[in-house]
Amino acid sequence: MMGTTLANAPIRLLAAHSLATIARERTVALLALLFLVLVVVAAYLGWSATSTVNAIYLRSAEYMAAQGQPIPSNPVLDTSPLALLRNMATYVSLIGALAAIVVGHQLVAGDRKAGTMPLLGTRPLRSVDLGVAKALALVVAIAALVLFAAAINTATFLVLPEFHLDAGGWARLGGFYGTSALYLLVFGFLGMWFGASAKSETVGLLIPVTVWLTVTFVLPQITSNINPVAALNPVSALADAPASTFFQLTGWALGPFSLAEAYRLVSAQLLDFMPPTFIDRSAIPPLASLLIAVTALGGAAVAAVARMDMTKGDYDA
Amino acid sequence: MHDLVQPVLTIAGKDIRDAVKDRFVILMTAFLLLASLVALAVAAIALKGDVATYVEAKAGLIALGKDASTIPDPAFYPLKLLRGFVEHVEIIGAIIGILIGYRAAASERGRQTLALIVTRPIAQWQFLAGKVLAGTAIISAGLVLAFVVAGAAVILISGVTLNPEDIVRLASVMSAAGLYALAFFLLGFVTALWAKKLPNALLLAFTVWLGFVLIAPQIGDTLDPDNQVAGGVFKQLQIAKPQQLEILQSFSTYETIRNGIEVASPTKHFERLSFAVLGIKDTYAGQPLMPILAEKTSDLVWLLAIALALGLLLFARRLDPNRLSKE
Repeated sequence: MMGTTLANAPIRLLAAHSLATIARERTVALLALLFLVLVVVAAYLGWSATSTVNAIYLRSAEYMAAQGQPIPSNPVLDTSPLALLRNMATYVSLIGALAAIVVGHQLVAGDRKAGTMPLLGTRPLRSVDLGVAKALALVVAIAALVLFAAAINTATFLVLPEFHLDAGGWARLGGFYGTSALYLLVFGFLGMWFGASAKSETVGLLIPVTVWLTVTFVLPQITSNINPVAALNPVSALADAPASTFFQLTGWALGPFSLAEAYRLVSAQLLDFMPPTFIDRSAIPPLASLLIAVTALGGAAVAAVARMDMTKGDYDA
Repeated sequence: MHDLVQPVLTIAGKDIRDAVKDRFVILMTAFLLLASLVALAVAAIALKGDVATYVEAKAGLIALGKDASTIPDPAFYPLKLLRGFVEHVEIIGAIIGILIGYRAAASERGRQTLALIVTRPIAQWQFLAGKVLAGTAIISAGLVLAFVVAGAAVILISGVTLNPEDIVRLASVMSAAGLYALAFFLLGFVTALWAKKLPNALLLAFTVWLGFVLIAPQIGDTLDPDNQVAGGVFKQLQIAKPQQLEILQSFSTYETIRNGIEVASPTKHFERLSFAVLGIKDTYAGQPLMPILAEKTSDLVWLLAIALALGLLLFARRLDPNRLSKE
């Protein structure tokens, strides 16, 4: 933990000021609110879909009993209570990642548009301190978003006694939020990197969005599920890739870059909805992919902020 | 008449030239093409794998001295390979529409030329019509390119020439895609024209895109009980189709709500129409085109109504001189 020493005081001040600035941004607030609404929706969808499958089973069991057919086991009983939150993985990778891009972008764009860069350049401040401060602000913002989501999901489990979690379940849930924070940081750092390095504000937003589209919809086609829209359904997204040497090779070689798939795999393992037949072909474990991506993009974002022209204010266009 | 149309054409021509110079619209269209080709290549490789499995199973039966005719020959519909392409048009095509619409307004606001235009002897509707005409032309050019490349790739990959009806099917889906992208163009244009801050307009348009293109279909898909159990709940319970329908009758309200959420999204209308016309949805594979088009007219009407409503909104509201600059 960072103490309150004289050396890190500017970093703390800059981070706190950056957080206060983005908290006033309506677009950031709108996206964060949408994300939190979807966290509630995810829990409702999980509960509603599970209850409906259960009701269909009971109705089917009545029918089979009337026909004198053997009654198979209830698929709901094979489902872990944690799987109630399976849609969270989808919403984190959709709206959460987009919100993280906007937060990362605004942390830098806010200063650039306000014209405070030349002013910051006159202060006794190392350029790397500014980068570290912005990264710290991003970590705090993402942590706040994830903690809110965690609080909502925890409340969901407490008000639904039929979905009881043991100590292991709560630990897994904690691991899921930690992984979600890592995944959101990937896109937050990406937004910060291009917010600092792009000459135009629009391009600074659109490049990370294009990378997000590629990671979410294009890469998983080659490394796992061949249908792009399958990414929207937590269960369909984990359908096995076709049995072919091509998919074995692309899964192995491109798996480490297919971060949306890596996040889905870790989430499915933690929330207990991983199909037993699924094979991960990636050259490195999914969690390692996420950690490497966060470290690399965090470094790139800090370096991009540190390299910013402190004599210039606004974007070119 | 010429005096009325000429300013519209002048503005449209200028906007098209600007858009061609704007690298990002070109890059996003290239991205759509690349993603589509990846989708087609992947679908072809998966199909090749399925064919190899079929041949292997048949050879295995023959080797065991059994009757190979018990395995039916698989039907091959080359247009089915376009599933991933259609899904990319749903997602990326909508973004391209938003970007073209955003650029059409942002280019004027960024250069402070919008305030100048409203001082010229040109009606507001002429200015807006010029922009919409240019947007329609740019979207159409991008889609024609994408569909020609996709069609050529299908021929190249499958080794099957498309017949005239297949080409009409492709043209029908392309027209629906044009209408779909036009709706998102209007969304991007309206928000960028009216928003106080330009980048906020882009974010607002992306938020609406996220809601209609990804979240509404996601909720509808997730609420489908058959998607909640790997392989499908009825398959796991080994219940035949007629009994499935009988059981599902008890859940008609639930299904109505689920379907209602899905059809709130223009994406789902475009998808349902395209999947039916191209035979991607199994129940429509090999069926003649005209009855499919007749059945799916409501989806087309929905797309048309959404584009029309946004168009009316655009033309009905007067341009606010205070919102004509960059910030």
